[in-house]
Amino acid sequence: MENLRQHPTYMNISPERHFLKRSLSEEQLSWAIRFLFGISVFLIVILSISYHSINQELIFYSEKVDHTHEVLDNVQDIRTRLYQVTYYGRGYLVMIDSVNRRNMLERLASVPHRIDYLSELTQDSPTQHAKVDSLRHYFALYEKSVVNFGMSDPAKLDLSSKLTLLRNGTSKTENLNEILDRIASVENKLMQERIISRDNYKQQIFRFNWVIMGVALAFLLCSFLLLERELKRTKGYRIELENQVENLNRSNAELEQFAYVASHDLQEPLRKIRSFADLLKTKNKDNLTEESKQIVGKIIKSASRMQLLIDDLLAFSRSIDSPREIEQVDLNDILRDVRANIKGKMQEHNADIRSDTLPTVTGYGNQLTQLFENILSNSLKYCKPGLCPEIVITSSEISGSSIAGIRESQLEDIFHQIVIKDNGIGFRNEYAEKIFVIFQRLHGQDDYQGSGIGLAICRKVVANHNGYIMADGEEGKGARFYIYLPQNSSTV
Amino acid sequence: MEEFNIILMADDDADDRFLVQAAFEDNDIHHEMMFFEDGEQLLEHLNATPIEGKTRFILLDLNMPKKDGREVLRALKSDKMLSKIPVIVFSTSKAPDDILSSYELGANSYVVKPSSYEHLKEVVKKISDFWLNTAITP
Repeated sequence: MENLRQHPTYMNISPERHFLKRSLSEEQLSWAIRFLFGISVFLIVILSISYHSINQELIFYSEKVDHTHEVLDNVQDIRTRLYQVTYYGRGYLVMIDSVNRRNMLERLASVPHRIDYLSELTQDSPTQHAKVDSLRHYFALYEKSVVNFGMSDPAKLDLSSKLTLLRNGTSKTENLNEILDRIASVENKLMQERIISRDNYKQQIFRFNWVIMGVALAFLLCSFLLLERELKRTKGYRIELENQVENLNRSNAELEQFAYVASHDLQEPLRKIRSFADLLKTKNKDNLTEESKQIVGKIIKSASRMQLLIDDLLAFSRSIDSPREIEQVDLNDILRDVRANIKGKMQEHNADIRSDTLPTVTGYGNQLTQLFENILSNSLKYCKPGLCPEIVITSSEISGSSIAGIRESQLEDIFHQIVIKDNGIGFRNEYAEKIFVIFQRLHGQDDYQGSGIGLAICRKVVANHNGYIMADGEEGKGARFYIYLPQNSSTV
Repeated sequence: MEEFNIILMADDDADDRFLVQAAFEDNDIHHEMMFFEDGEQLLEHLNATPIEGKTRFILLDLNMPKKDGREVLRALKSDKMLSKIPVIVFSTSKAPDDILSSYELGANSYVVKPSSYEHLKEVVKKISDFWLNTAITP
């Protein structure tokens, strides 16, 4: 572990590789999460439906069981009434009184309603219903005989007739009881079956629900794990990004340090070379041969050139750094300032600059001044001999998608397009990119002075504003510079 | 008036001291000049010499060993008598920070060391014209 700690690069690279090896693409991951969530939701819906159906089913079975109980109660009720008919009938036979007779007939009369009700209850089962029909049939016979008995006068009967009556009555009642028993036993059996099938159903559905719930939970867990992994990965990227920002800041600081070194330590000896060569030329004017003077002249010229390059390099490095303060910059004001700055050169060339009303942009005033000054100075510098420079500046709005080579994130942004067109010597279009590269020049030092930094700074400035600069030209006819600055201030 | 004509220069670079001296001579300015290799030497001299009024101006480099130009400026401008001597910061640096901080510390002028001898001669002439012949100092 101690060794690992001493190797920060190892620590950095290892988790990165680990991530790359296992990770899905962003698209895949998004679909995977959607799929898993979709499945989980689907399963949960199924689970709810299933629970609802269990409920319905249980209600159904409970109703069935209640129904069976009612049938059984009714059967028992009929049985009791028949027993009472027999009881009061025997009392009447023995005591021959009107109370027993009335009670017997009353009880008898109450039975048909019960049978009707039983018939109603058993309508769902044809076999039971048939039994009730036969019950009704035998009861009708029984009823008839009991009514006949009620009409008769038992006092007139002899003992053997009474015994026959009793036997007949008992046998008829037994018949009826037998039917009632059968109805009850079927009903009991039905209830048993219903309870068993209800329990089975319950067990099955519960097993099914447990499975569904388990699967849904598994899917949810999967999507949770995926999400968590994605979060971790994003965190990894963020840390990496932060590291990169830190590295960038460091390299920027180093660049500033370099600029400082270039401005001081490198310029110091150069200044000496120039100064002493100068001194040699002036102090020893009379002792130097013509050739020596020429050589000294060349030393001074080269040193001056190098001085210019270092100065420009410094200016360029300063333009890399974007200042903290962003402001609303009216480009019309900038153009006015630039006109004032290059007034001398304009008069010298008798130049004419015409411009549309320019927009206000969010950015860095100093840098934008430099941008316009560099391009306009460029146009004046590369004017066609014998022709007054004419520079036309136009401004319009344009969508990011119509700018070539634009970053994908800016495709939908709106840009200010500022075109600066001149009638100078132009350039061949194949050099349209080259002119923006630092220290790249299309002409010899003797034809046009300069280090080739101006347009490189322009590109830097525009980049600091999240914009773009391009050029096209035609040799001998003129050049056009296209500046694109984003309209939306938040992008700067 | 003759004795009030000393010009002081503090610069750790012998070449620069030599070039400045040559530029003064070439401009026919024959004032007494004293050169110091760092800020400490300059301050020691000024503190040891009670006749601060003799010094016409000081050419002061910013980056020097021991005591740099900023420290010297701070010391000079916090001294009641010495603060009257004009100080011209004479540095290679064009950095806005250096220029601003020098003026904030009380520099009377800031001149970037010219990069050619011809230019140096001109600058020396202008400085001398101004601080010796034009400006009125206490």
